[in-house]
Amino acid sequence: STQSTWGFSVVPSFPPIDRFTKNMASSESITKTAQENAEEKYQIKPSYKNTFKPRAVQQIVKQVVDEYLQQKQYDPNETSNWTKEIAQLIKSKIKELKYARYKFLVQVVIGEAKGAGVRIGCRCLWDSQTDKVAEYTLQNDSLWCCAMAFGIY
Amino acid sequence: MEEAADAGPQNFDYDEVKNLIEQAIEPVLGKNVYQPKKVQDWNSAIVESVLKSLQAANKPFKYVVTCIIMQKNGAGLHTASTCYWDTKTDGSCSVRWDNATMNAIVTVFALHI
Repeated sequence: STQSTWGFSVVPSFPPIDRFTKNMASSESITKTAQENAEEKYQIKPSYKNTFKPRAVQQIVKQVVDEYLQQKQYDPNETSNWTKEIAQLIKSKIKELKYARYKFLVQVVIGEAKGAGVRIGCRCLWDSQTDKVAEYTLQNDSLWCCAMAFGIY
Repeated sequence: MEEAADAGPQNFDYDEVKNLIEQAIEPVLGKNVYQPKKVQDWNSAIVESVLKSLQAANKPFKYVVTCIIMQKNGAGLHTASTCYWDTKTDGSCSVRWDNATMNAIVTVFALHI
């Protein structure tokens, strides 16, 4: 009986060498050297240092909301302006943290505390390792406020 | 402009998502009366149903879906959102719905991968 051996080896995925394209005029421009291929990097996740940190962002959200609504009473005319301004403030503070390539969403809900039942729910289809949410709820005698900040890579 | 199959740049389709949301809210809340015990289930049901249909559309987007259900009591409610994203490809859609006893606001944010 003949002995046959076969082996399996993993070949690094460089593009095929241009033995097939040597006759084409543009062969030089298509191929890259092995060196260049090794250096190309496609970043699909941020490094740990640069991931969105929910705790740090929650501190910011808490600080902005507390400061803004500190002594305010619910006012049907002004409250819509308050929601917009709080959202803008939170967004600009998060931008200062300089998370690279992150997109931010901020949603602020303010309601009058009149005994009505409210339920706010949220679900997301994202990559849970890189995308996070920070939320904070404040309640006082006349109003309640829920602010949510999302960071998506 | 050429349209690639599933991958490639696609813009957020407002009308499609709006219909989707409306179709998701109606069967869950319909003519129900606000009940504090059930509201959590309704909330989850609406959000999950919206998310499932968005996922079935098979587009290269990440989604954030929020749902606010509030009892009608004469109390006021204000909501605002602001976003830092790519304005060409990303978008949001917000739908307000109500019946005799409650209000619902569902917002979908879609961010291109």
